[in-house]
Amino acid sequence: MTGSVGLSVLTAAGGLTLADGPSELPSIDDFLPPEILFQGTPFAMNRIILIRAIMTVVLLLVFGITAKRAKLIPGRWQGFVEWMIEFVEYNVVYSTMGELRGKRYVPMCCTIFFTALCFNLCGVIPGFNIAATATIAMPLMFALWTLVQYWRSGIRSNGGLGKYLKKELFPAGVPWPVYILLSPIKFLEIAVIQPGALTLRLFANMVSGHLTLATALVMTDWYIIQVHNAAMMPVGILWFLFGFLMTAFEIFIAALQAFIFSVLTAVYINSSYPEDE
Amino acid sequence: MTTLADGNGIDLFIPKTYDIFWSFIILVILAVFFYKFFLPRFQKIFDERAEKIQGGMDKAAAAEKEAEEAKKKYEDQLTQARVQASKIRDDARAEASHIIADARSRAESEAAQISANAQRSIESEQQQALVSLKGQVGTISVALAGKILGKELKSDAVQSDMIDSVLGDLEDESKED
Repeated sequence: MTGSVGLSVLTAAGGLTLADGPSELPSIDDFLPPEILFQGTPFAMNRIILIRAIMTVVLLLVFGITAKRAKLIPGRWQGFVEWMIEFVEYNVVYSTMGELRGKRYVPMCCTIFFTALCFNLCGVIPGFNIAATATIAMPLMFALWTLVQYWRSGIRSNGGLGKYLKKELFPAGVPWPVYILLSPIKFLEIAVIQPGALTLRLFANMVSGHLTLATALVMTDWYIIQVHNAAMMPVGILWFLFGFLMTAFEIFIAALQAFIFSVLTAVYINSSYPEDE
Repeated sequence: MTTLADGNGIDLFIPKTYDIFWSFIILVILAVFFYKFFLPRFQKIFDERAEKIQGGMDKAAAAEKEAEEAKKKYEDQLTQARVQASKIRDDARAEASHIIADARSRAESEAAQISANAQRSIESEQQQALVSLKGQVGTISVALAGKILGKELKSDAVQSDMIDSVLGDLEDESKED
């Protein structure tokens, strides 16, 4: 659903470029920026990867210093960080799979949640203006990690690959002819659909968010500054208000997508465990 | 300007090699950071805090117990003191009534003695008065009778008869009183 919203905005933005309007409207090129460092090598960097690297350094510094200076009696910032950790621990992991099973997955869900949150927020940070998760590779990495993790936990907890696949592909209590249809679908689900959905959900949200926000700001600039026409002023102001609203919405989306991604990771891992445990 | 209409929108969904490389490196760095440093560090803080709070709560519980004991002791003492006080009061009251009763009985016996003494002295005085009166009345009445009867009553025998009869009358009169 979010993907389709993204696409409609995408085409809307595309359509607008055809008109004799602002020349800097966002396009999908924003997500395929030219390589600016180490061009042509397998470790070339483009704008988004650079943003990602900078955000990583910031994240390591901020959270590293916070952890280093963590005290028994927390200050406000430490309290906030602890609140987020406990949020992931209890509301994401333990509420999904319980404390006993979930304990070992807390670091993973924390990593995904904090990283996704910070990377998503780059979309509204002035200067960055695009989420660090806004190329397919980053959400894909998260999703592959999730995939590997739930296959591993499934194989371990079910006692072998065969037993895990039997549990996933041939659920008990189903008449055998149904397996002909069900098993391939189930296999597709645990191998492709689940990680694919994770990837696309996050990526499409970031793409659509950037397109909407950038469109609003470009249009604001166009109607208020570029077009010298007082009659168009209110339109520009409306675009500005829309941009304002979308910025707030994007902050919300950044947190929401980080939350959804980590929750679904926990859910997928949990469903890989044997049912009767 | 590239749009979806240009047909390379699919590029969005095909990860570049270098993008995969950097995403992977960054994710590994962040995962190591969260696994090895950030979370263990906070876990340690959480544990320490829990321990401290537990210790504080234990201490508070001990203090509460102590206070409870002290209160009980104090209340016991208070009850004891109250009992003692009421006992003392009762004793005092009993003694007081004892003293009053003693004093009363002593006073009563003294009063009885005094009145008995008074009675006795009155009686003896009365006796004395009677005796002395007897003599005087005899003399007076003899003199009076002598004067009335002339010399007829000069003999001693007549005189004492007369006196006795008069006294007898007097005694009768006093008995009638």
